[in-house]
Amino acid sequence: MERFEYSRDREAVNAARARALEALLIEKGVITSETVDKIMAIFATEMGPFNGAKLVAKAWVDPAFKTLLAQDTMAAVEQMNFATKGAGAEGEHMKAAINTPEVHNLIICTLCSCYPWPILGLPPYWYKDPSFRARAAREPRKVLGEFGLNIDPTKEIKTWDSSAQIRWFVVPERPEGTEHLGEEQLAALVTPESMMGVAIVKPPSA
Amino acid sequence: MKLQHYLGGLEGLDPISLETRIFVEAWEERIFGIHTAMMALSSQLELDATSSTFNTEWTWADLRKGAESMNPFDYFKYRYYEKWLGGISGYFVAKGYIARAELDARTKAFLSSAPAMPRGGDAEVDARVRKYLLIGDDPKRERSAPPRFAAGDTVRVADPNSVDHTRLPGHLRNKVGVIDSVYPDAYAYLCDTGPDGLGKAMPAYCVKFDPEDLWPGNTETNFTFYADLFEAYLEPATAS
Repeated sequence: MERFEYSRDREAVNAARARALEALLIEKGVITSETVDKIMAIFATEMGPFNGAKLVAKAWVDPAFKTLLAQDTMAAVEQMNFATKGAGAEGEHMKAAINTPEVHNLIICTLCSCYPWPILGLPPYWYKDPSFRARAAREPRKVLGEFGLNIDPTKEIKTWDSSAQIRWFVVPERPEGTEHLGEEQLAALVTPESMMGVAIVKPPSA
Repeated sequence: MKLQHYLGGLEGLDPISLETRIFVEAWEERIFGIHTAMMALSSQLELDATSSTFNTEWTWADLRKGAESMNPFDYFKYRYYEKWLGGISGYFVAKGYIARAELDARTKAFLSSAPAMPRGGDAEVDARVRKYLLIGDDPKRERSAPPRFAAGDTVRVADPNSVDHTRLPGHLRNKVGVIDSVYPDAYAYLCDTGPDGLGKAMPAYCVKFDPEDLWPGNTETNFTFYADLFEAYLEPATAS
């Protein structure tokens, strides 16, 4: 629902303002005409949820790697040969929260939108929404239900609020019926939402 | 007191937006890219100098200060990247890079037609931006003193005055929690937050809270809340 009134040319003005700003910054030598496109290309190919999906798939097939990921997340990430190695903006220090049959993890940032860029890329809108940030802190089960995820009352929910310099992500559980799949096929099943804790990973037939 | 510092637990809000896109309008990518370039070219980083005329500091702290200083109704009214567009435009005007009239006139020009975007710039500028993205800006420093708390210690969250910026979620102020883990080394923050207490490197902790202590009788069961907190925000639980 719309709680506020907006001017009818809201998006046209926003778009014109953003283009005007970029044009002036290029003319004044602050950035180049390629800067923004090059940044977006990095997020499309080198820093994104495709990295996180590879990490999760490796953890599913390699128990020792999963243990390392839980205990020393950055050492595990470093083994992956991502362009960012064991670093990257907004991912200098990352922590994995591992889902188990007993525990479901959820990441939130109640103050802003802290997010592990090197392995998850940029956050989706729902994660940045003040309503999600406010509500997930106090009533995560109800919030997850709105995402269509009903967590059994006997399963503990752990919510991780990223308010310092550490960035969290979730390692979802491997779905049943995927024993025959290889790492690459497994990675294709892993969604950004499952690495934030508002979804589980479904087997390929589902 | 700023509502933006106290969002955790706020009641009466709408159902969750299930919008999974990162950008919902094409222009949002442009402002995101501009912000990221500013962070990469920011003057405090120890990266190779370039020919970019950007010679001031811009970090997450600057962006966050802008969002935290907004009218709280406007904070809810405007979409995420609309807030960025306002804050970043304001910064370039306030720092004298662009005149307000110039930005308004150019916006008008783009509203009525589609002028060609200017071309050019030094490749070294983009190389520095790429380097920043790939290595980041490591906040970790060597410890100058041992951490004040150990895993298992009971702590009380402090209630310092916040001026324009804080990393202390409001719903944790004055609450009691247990140190779940002590992060290695120490962590610096991007700016000095004055009486709020951040700036110099200090230990950081993952602190475990019982939601029933945060919102008595008004939360869910079989649920644990963890928050990463800087040492400045913690006191021994016995101090009242």
